[in-house]
Amino acid sequence: MRNKSVISEARDIRLAIELIQLGARLQMLEAETNLSRERLLKLYKEVKGVSPPKGMLPFSTDWFMTWQPNVHASLFMAYFRFFEKHTKLRGLELIIKSYRMYLEKVTRSGMEIVLSLTRAWTMVRFFEANMLQRATCRECGGEFVAHAYDPTRGYVCGLCHLPARAGKTRRAAA
Amino acid sequence: MKSTDTYNDIKEVNLAYMMLAQNMVRSDREGAIFRLGISEEIADILERLTPGQVLKMAASDMLLCSFRFDDALLLDLLSNHERDRGAGHVHAAILAAGRAVESVA
Repeated sequence: MRNKSVISEARDIRLAIELIQLGARLQMLEAETNLSRERLLKLYKEVKGVSPPKGMLPFSTDWFMTWQPNVHASLFMAYFRFFEKHTKLRGLELIIKSYRMYLEKVTRSGMEIVLSLTRAWTMVRFFEANMLQRATCRECGGEFVAHAYDPTRGYVCGLCHLPARAGKTRRAAA
Repeated sequence: MKSTDTYNDIKEVNLAYMMLAQNMVRSDREGAIFRLGISEEIADILERLTPGQVLKMAASDMLLCSFRFDDALLLDLLSNHERDRGAGHVHAAILAAGRAVESVA
């Protein structure tokens, strides 16, 4: 057993349950808790009633650049930066709180949840690894997610200049 | 409107504001810091106020909450009905999160 202390194991299990309920993938649970893969698998099935999705985590930063994901990712990052600056929340707690705020905002605005917890968590790691950066919109002054090393001077965000086909997905039309 | 009416209205808004703010801080501290636009220090002060202190503060003839969005773009985003409501509010949230919070000097 990797866990020596029962108390720390209980804490990990509670954390894992919270993460699973928020939609975390198994890889994220493995990285953030000290529980074994078998225990996490069992826990996942118990909480969700189904086996966790298989396969690798999305590893490309391109997903964050298309219009709709970029708006959602930028909203999450806005909360993330705010709480980082103005509260004592750090690490995973900071991600969870920002994600909960994001979920609440999106559901209250009657929109679809586009950003999953695992994606949000991956994005924070992309930022830490300097694969993504923040670009300030020339028109509204808001900060948006952008590729690292892309020129950000004269950047205009997708909300100031809505692309003509924005939001008109096949699913929205149906 | 008579000045006594205004005075009473201010008192009522103050009391409602203080009670709401205190409840928000107590139930979801970080969320309240964002939604109220206050610093952690102010959140601490709000949390510790006794009902008596809240009543005394509310009895002032000045409004305790001030206008937060002194920015034409933010105002437009929040009030404009032409825009898609969801996207406008998301845009407003992104901008608001970048703003400074109220803090005690």
